[in-house]
Amino acid sequence: MRRIVKNRAIYLMILPGFLYFLIFKYIPMSGLIIAFQDYQAYLGVTGSPWVGLKHFERLFTEPMFFTILGNTLLLFFLNLAFYFPVPIILALMLNEVRREAFKRFIQTLVYIPHFMSWVIIVSISFVMLSMDRGIINELLVMAGFEKINFLMSSEWFRPMYVLQIIWREAGWGTIIYLAAMAAIDPGLYEASRIDGASRFRQMWHITLPSIRSVIVVLLILKIGDVLELGFEHIYLLLNSMNRDVAEIFDTYVYTAGLKQGQFSFSTAVGFFKSLIGLILVMLANWLAKKAGEEGIY
Amino acid sequence: MKKKKASTILAIVTALSVLAGCGGGSAPAATGSSTNGGQAQGEKPSEPVAISIMANLHTPEVPSDMIEKLLEEKTGTKLDIQWVPDGTYDEKVNASFATGTLPQVTYLKNAASLVNMRDAIRNGQFWEIGPLLDQYPNLSKLKPDVLKNTAVDGKIYALYREVPLSRQGIIYRKDWADKLGLSAPTNIDEFYNMLKQFKEKDPDGNGQDDTIPLTDRNDLIYGAFKTISSWLGTPNNWGEKDGKLAPEFMFPEYMETMKFFKKLHQEGLINQDFPVTSKTDQQNLFITGKSGVYIGAMGDVSSLHPKVVEVNPDAELDVQNKIEGGPNGFGIWSVPGYGSVILFPKTAIKSEEELTGVLAFMDQLMSPELGNLIYWGVEGQHHQLEEGKVVPSEDTKLTDREVKPYQAMQVGGPLTIEGFYEPKHMLPVKAKAEEMIVENNDYLIEDPSASLDSKTFNEKGVQLQEMIKDGTYRFMLGDLDEAGFQAVVDNWLKSGGQQIIDEFNVSYESSK
Repeated sequence: MRRIVKNRAIYLMILPGFLYFLIFKYIPMSGLIIAFQDYQAYLGVTGSPWVGLKHFERLFTEPMFFTILGNTLLLFFLNLAFYFPVPIILALMLNEVRREAFKRFIQTLVYIPHFMSWVIIVSISFVMLSMDRGIINELLVMAGFEKINFLMSSEWFRPMYVLQIIWREAGWGTIIYLAAMAAIDPGLYEASRIDGASRFRQMWHITLPSIRSVIVVLLILKIGDVLELGFEHIYLLLNSMNRDVAEIFDTYVYTAGLKQGQFSFSTAVGFFKSLIGLILVMLANWLAKKAGEEGIY
Repeated sequence: MKKKKASTILAIVTALSVLAGCGGGSAPAATGSSTNGGQAQGEKPSEPVAISIMANLHTPEVPSDMIEKLLEEKTGTKLDIQWVPDGTYDEKVNASFATGTLPQVTYLKNAASLVNMRDAIRNGQFWEIGPLLDQYPNLSKLKPDVLKNTAVDGKIYALYREVPLSRQGIIYRKDWADKLGLSAPTNIDEFYNMLKQFKEKDPDGNGQDDTIPLTDRNDLIYGAFKTISSWLGTPNNWGEKDGKLAPEFMFPEYMETMKFFKKLHQEGLINQDFPVTSKTDQQNLFITGKSGVYIGAMGDVSSLHPKVVEVNPDAELDVQNKIEGGPNGFGIWSVPGYGSVILFPKTAIKSEEELTGVLAFMDQLMSPELGNLIYWGVEGQHHQLEEGKVVPSEDTKLTDREVKPYQAMQVGGPLTIEGFYEPKHMLPVKAKAEEMIVENNDYLIEDPSASLDSKTFNEKGVQLQEMIKDGTYRFMLGDLDEAGFQAVVDNWLKSGGQQIIDEFNVSYESSK
């Protein structure tokens, strides 16, 4: 207690963060209660009748359930497999650029898409991929191929999804890696140069191992985001023709909950989704520790 | 300090006088006296009554507040209008409702949104206004038949915004048709032939095979689908089959419509991406002359015309309604007499006095003066008067920004507001469209389920409808065959559809 008083300035600094989590993350959790009720907006949490696990039962018996679960996990793994390495590779490449001005220029260029909303990214791809005079399809026709219905086919949804994420986020994702690389002791490079290591060898034996722990932490954090596949992004891409591969928990919560006012049911869905996320994070953390890394807790 | 107190009291007094004045009768006079009253006592203008409103925005931009300012001035209120884009309107209403933050005056999007609210209405979340309407000179003119269509358990909770019963028809490029020697289509074969020729005969004369005859969007109701389905004789949402009500998609005509669209899609007579095309993109195809046929509200011709002519000065538009396709002759689907409805949530309006105040404001909105203002804008600026008829400004960009959004706030309409200006159409094709909208009244296919009720439908009707919507699109794009669509319908029946059918039929029997 005395230590708290003594270091009150530091504790005061924690306060905003603490309040943020309390108000925006912990207090709303009590809202999960309505997953076990037949929540009626006008009766409130206290007045709505309790129904036990009814909504969870409905979720598990829903014909779409396994499709949605599968889609959520699959999109997540695709995201992890194809998007996650891209910023690392990009950062390694940028790190090798010796001309500062040129490096900055490239960096700015790859950051820009991050500041465009999903609506813009998706709209641009719609214009490019449209069957009616979309430039990509026109090019395909000129090259003697058949037009491809990118926007409304189940097969093209996943590649489109991953590519759009890379397009928008890859540049932004390099920031942390570049920072980690900047912190590497230059002496290591000097020593390796004296030993005759090539640029590629330096990258492989010094840069990569030095940022290994950053990569692991980011990987675990990323896994925590299995919950956040980008609702807006997918919702914009979702249509009647690709629903079987594109519907995920987030979009399902939105259509079942907000559009039709089934708040209890959608809370139950969201709850379930969070549980999956929690399990995956714990699993990843455990694996990281097994592999001798620090993990996040 | 003292002065502040005095002005607060004055504000309350003025507010009350506005309410009293409006409730009593002549609305415009009352507003005049309230502002005068404030100034007579040598004070600054008093604090006006605050009224919060949520309305549907059909234009891409939030409107300028010019009309809003005029409304505030004329009614002695302080308006807080929340504009919500049409695309997410229902979600916004649901979210606000769940969090208890609906405004005092809540416009619902359409008849279907009212159905979604029925349970909440039944649970007493909104004020019943039926018995109060008589006290208001303008609101009392709303048609009892239409009010009855909005009623829940026979009680009236909503004001309505009047729209023509059926505005559906075709808008097409007459110059293209003339060039190819085609006359306006009168049956489904001629319509198909027109599309076919528009595709193959290079109607825009640029020597390239680059026209998409029909432009459609991702909307099975207000897009082309439902209109063509009613040409082919499909019932409007629900129809009678062997004395029992059944949903439209269980009728063979619905299948016919889907097959027709499938054919159009395969032969390239419709934009290939129509299930994901937005209304803006759809209209752009037509405006830029890539496409020659547009199906939807015929009145849209007045906003499309100037834009089409801007791109191509030689373009000529025409409208057409009656297309014969089914065994029963002409038919066109209709709405139940109202476009949207207006509800008054109890969370926002705490007492009956407050309610009378809000209703008094709505009453003023329905007065000829304000009714015309929100619909036609300011004389000399947005329109001219000629022989007592309105000639809307040709500057549609201006009216789109300043007036059109406010039309969503209309209460009642030409049939219920005495002295509501009639338009004088400088554009002959617009006049023709208006005539055809009236003509449609003779061939209406009405929705027998409009006033019926089903508990299951209220609960999961929308979600179930989504299944049918997906199935319909997938059939039209060739992803499903007839058996596949039947499987979708079977799944619909199994997931609660059968219950809906049963409940609607019980309700139907008791209403006979």
